[in-house]
Amino acid sequence: MGSLSANTEEYLEALARISAQGRKPTVKELSAMLKVSPASVSEMLRKLASSGFVEYERYGKIIITEKGKKEGGRILRKHRLLEKFLGMMGVRKERLHEEACILEHAVSDEVEEALRAAVSEKGEGALKRLSLMRPGESGKIVLVSGGKAARDRLMEMGLTPGTKITVRHTSTRHGPMEICVRSSCLALGRGIAEKILVEVS
Amino acid sequence: MKAIRVALAGNANVGKSTIFNSLTGLNQHMGNWPGKTVEKAEGKLHFRGKEIEIVDLPGVYSLKPYSEEEKVAREYMCSHKPDVVINVVDASVLERNLFLTLSLVKMGRPVVVALNMVDVAERKGAKVDAKKLSRLLGAPVVPVIATRGIGLEQLMEKAVSEAKRGGECGKPREESTEKAYAEAERIAKECITLTKTRPPLEERLDSVLMHKYAGYLFLALAAALMFFSVFSMGDRLSGILSEEFSYAKEWLSAAMGEGFLSFILVEGVFEGIAAAAIIALPYIIPFAIALAILEDSGYLARMAFLMDTFMRKIGLHGKAFIPMILGYGCTVPACLSCRIMETQRERFLSAFLVTLVPCAARSVIIMGLVAAFVGIEWAAFLYLLNILIIAILGRIAFRALPGEPMGLIMEMPSYKMPSPINIAKTAWLKANSFIWIALPIIIASTVLIKLVEFFGLIGPISDVLSPITVGWLGLPAIAGITLIFGILRKELALVMLAALLGTENFSSALTQVQMLTFAIVSMYYVPCTATIAALAREFGWKKSLAITVFEVMFAILLAGVLARILEAFFF
Repeated sequence: MGSLSANTEEYLEALARISAQGRKPTVKELSAMLKVSPASVSEMLRKLASSGFVEYERYGKIIITEKGKKEGGRILRKHRLLEKFLGMMGVRKERLHEEACILEHAVSDEVEEALRAAVSEKGEGALKRLSLMRPGESGKIVLVSGGKAARDRLMEMGLTPGTKITVRHTSTRHGPMEICVRSSCLALGRGIAEKILVEVS
Repeated sequence: MKAIRVALAGNANVGKSTIFNSLTGLNQHMGNWPGKTVEKAEGKLHFRGKEIEIVDLPGVYSLKPYSEEEKVAREYMCSHKPDVVINVVDASVLERNLFLTLSLVKMGRPVVVALNMVDVAERKGAKVDAKKLSRLLGAPVVPVIATRGIGLEQLMEKAVSEAKRGGECGKPREESTEKAYAEAERIAKECITLTKTRPPLEERLDSVLMHKYAGYLFLALAAALMFFSVFSMGDRLSGILSEEFSYAKEWLSAAMGEGFLSFILVEGVFEGIAAAAIIALPYIIPFAIALAILEDSGYLARMAFLMDTFMRKIGLHGKAFIPMILGYGCTVPACLSCRIMETQRERFLSAFLVTLVPCAARSVIIMGLVAAFVGIEWAAFLYLLNILIIAILGRIAFRALPGEPMGLIMEMPSYKMPSPINIAKTAWLKANSFIWIALPIIIASTVLIKLVEFFGLIGPISDVLSPITVGWLGLPAIAGITLIFGILRKELALVMLAALLGTENFSSALTQVQMLTFAIVSMYYVPCTATIAALAREFGWKKSLAITVFEVMFAILLAGVLARILEAFFF
């Protein structure tokens, strides 16, 4: 499906987004959403219509075809998956949407599959933030993100990627947790634990 | 002959200071929590006719200059070039410790590894093969148990012979952390034989003491127990001493007769000693003991864990709770220990809060005046109110100095049975420093104030202060002069008050509200000159004076308001 241009995919995603909310798409809404002029929207819609993704006539209703729904849904899924994954990787919340918008066009179905396994939080190879793990759970450190000072400190204390980590104690939802790594036990604040990604075993 | 220079280096809380103390006979602060040693300490010893200079460095995890302590350690290694480095290693956390060992060895200076806590490691089910470790590292390894002084003789022998070997000028080599850890892991795996152990007591203790609800209950219980035991121990001691001293005074004044000299000796010198012994010492020693038990057992770090959520609300994290608890002992070392915080902002914020924690000298006033003469529930009230005030001021200070703290990263020490010898030693050191440092100041001040009294100057000085002391605070006029003396040492305020009132039975001269007001002022106006100096050293004179001025005004304001509330509703 790599034949579709990034721009086409953006339109299909926006259409899917609007119809997912149970509304009928309009040129005005699309132009606001994609930050382009109504005239360009209209032109693009005609192109999409000729490819069979929508039924559209100038000043008329926009009807998404089955083919359009399928394509749009596929891109929207990738977008949401990427947002979740990037969030896990420690990307700031306010950047998530934009970054996902850029990346979604480059994700093949195979990569999508792998990402889905990683963020599933269940089963073999699932990735989980340390802060979400329970006492007794253990796994391998995949990534330490966050500020340089904290990352340096954690690395020199032995929390290098690939190291086995076990949760010993947790406290309240925003409280710290105690973990064991290389036979030493450390207390980590919740904010720090959120920045550590673990492959649960 | 040139002295051999030895540096003690290693991770935090592996026993460097314990080894340092055993070797030099000095008294570096010891305790079971990471970050005690904030500055390098130096000492000397003679071993088999050789003079050895030994330096105790702060605990570090690597030689990369990430933190203050690491900078101190790295700079020492680079510029002082010790003849030999004794790398103290915790055998129960070998892999993590070896990370530093490897970078020390690679630096090129002779290294001797002191494999400490082999007993703890065995209890945890790990036996370390020292010979194999030595071969893999390419440096001699000596197993030791520092707390019992085992192996130190061999350690020094090895250090001396290694020092002779000499080495190149060492510079820390930059290497990827991951690579170095992989090597540490490989070496540790080869040297450790795992034995089977039953689930350690530690685990079960932690499941209660660190529990999200039960943990706090236990924390409150521990605080209450500490409070009551200090008071009851102090009160009993104080009663016994009071009787003894009053007999002695009667006898002494009868023997000395009348006259100026006798007045100065009896009312000044003797009364100063008596008041110090009766009022201050009985509470200071139990406090020192209670804190030593907390530090030694490993519970202090658990307290920090439990308080993390709360401390984050005032812009800090759990580790800042450690200096605050130490603040109940003495404010000066507590301020210095704020260096365990990562940034200058966090250090300053925590030091500010530490100055508000009632130190042992201020507790002398709370215990000796309020608990003894108003009621123990009122003393408890003052401590609880203090916690509330710290929380409120902490919140305000956080608003004034906003910022995101790095977040808690702290090694959890193993539990340890507090060593009675250690605790007795701490108490003895405290008593010693009280006698040699505090007592002379107290005697000099009592003599001075008696001279002032003798020449009829108390009245004029008190009159100047009376708008604040009498008008606003409702205290007797003479209280002003005692509060001024209190800035030298806080307990002095009460000792002076006793001297001027001519009695240690305060209830005969002060109302209950006056006693509470006096205690409240003393609790909050700057701790003492030593604290002002310590703050200036850590943060500069401007910040130190700002804290001083703020706290004096705050204390007067708070005490005046509370005096009116207490008068109106409770007494």
